[in-house]
Amino acid sequence: MAKYSTTQFKNGLKLMLDGNPCSITNNEIVKPGKGQAFNRVKFKDLITGKTLEKTFKSGESLEVADVMELEMQYLYSDAKGWYFMDPSSFDQYELGTTTVGSAVNYLVEQDNCVVTLWNDNPISVTPPNHVILEVVETDPGLKGDTAGTGGKPATMNTGVVVQVPLFISIGEKVKIDTRTNEYSGRA
Amino acid sequence: MAGLKVQLLQYQNFLQQIRDFFYEKKVTEVKTSALLSSPISDVYIDSITAIVNSDIGKPKSLYLHTSPEIEMKKLLARGSGDIFQICSVYRDNEQGKQNYNEFTMLEYYRLDFDIHRLIDEITELLTSLGWRHNVEKITYHQAFMRYAGFDILRANFDTLKAIANSHGLSAEFHWIEDLQMFLFVHLIEPHIKKYPACFIYDYPKQQSALAQIDGQTAKRFELYIHGIEIANGYQELQSAKDYRERFANELAKRKQLSKTVSSIDEQFLIEIKDDLPFCAGVAIGIDRLFSLIGL
Repeated sequence: MAKYSTTQFKNGLKLMLDGNPCSITNNEIVKPGKGQAFNRVKFKDLITGKTLEKTFKSGESLEVADVMELEMQYLYSDAKGWYFMDPSSFDQYELGTTTVGSAVNYLVEQDNCVVTLWNDNPISVTPPNHVILEVVETDPGLKGDTAGTGGKPATMNTGVVVQVPLFISIGEKVKIDTRTNEYSGRA
Repeated sequence: MAGLKVQLLQYQNFLQQIRDFFYEKKVTEVKTSALLSSPISDVYIDSITAIVNSDIGKPKSLYLHTSPEIEMKKLLARGSGDIFQICSVYRDNEQGKQNYNEFTMLEYYRLDFDIHRLIDEITELLTSLGWRHNVEKITYHQAFMRYAGFDILRANFDTLKAIANSHGLSAEFHWIEDLQMFLFVHLIEPHIKKYPACFIYDYPKQQSALAQIDGQTAKRFELYIHGIEIANGYQELQSAKDYRERFANELAKRKQLSKTVSSIDEQFLIEIKDDLPFCAGVAIGIDRLFSLIGL
């Protein structure tokens, strides 16, 4: 397996750390006046999503993680899992609950998501930045309130709860920012 | 253009304030040679070599100073009294966001000062330059007790290796001092960042550099501002014998790492044969200081 030395470290590089594929999110070289140079590196564990911080002697190397990010279409889900298709090969992938994680809140059939594969196995899925969801439950709002100052919780068709303006009612389609879980407009 | 002029005047004013501070205290400004006949012996500091006089058939290698320490100590040995210098220094193989091959150093020596008196004076200098935050002062040992929960002065090489492994870090080091520094960078520095300014003092004796040793610790300190290393100071060694020992030790380490190895700077040892006066000295990176002092 190929290795990368600290001199080649850069953000986004995918490496193996303690048996898990990780992505570098920050790489800082520290050279004490009287000492050797070190790399203080922040990683995101691509499986657990946790952030790790490690320090390396400059010159140390880590194994490359065979990680690919592919755009795939979300097809449907059933009792066994969630199904995605690689539109270029038509290969279908089944993702389990832990792999889908919180992305489950934003999965809309036919939407294109990014599925991360490690050694050809799906390890995570990232929904589009914005998705259109339908409000299935919310308290009736005050008529005429269009300023959207107050806000109220609304349950979407995926089950996720989002703060929406008071004027939004059941059955309406709204645009949600998946990175912040915030309402960003009527669809 | 106006913006550039403002910046240039700010820097001029900064240098002037430093000079005024020392003139007031009757510390003499000196200028020593930047081209030296011997490179530095430190294991992790590399001199830049300058080949001169090639075209007149008398080529020879000289070395840009990595700090004015050696030349200023020659002056101290000759009876200069308190001295300071502001100069550009040059280092090879530097890397990192905060490191450059050339930077500006303020180096100064105070006779009859111990490191605590010098630390107090540096704090006074910071204040005169407009520093308005607290200045913390903790020992190397306290920092490890507080932030890592172990006794760095009692931990032997094997203990430190086990600690490094327990944090998922490499423990492959030739010398205990390198592993101490590694653990300091990983475990302590992120906490030091929280202090606007923090002096760390009484380093483990293995990291004495050119500082006097007293028991388990070296009379050495560093100053961190917002977690960035700004200054490094010592209770200076006095005898030529001590200097020879420390230089030889560093050169042996360079050899072990297959780095370029020079011979000991005998000229320096001859010039200080009657011993340096009791003094404390410090090197302050003033480019870093200038960029941080206003924060």
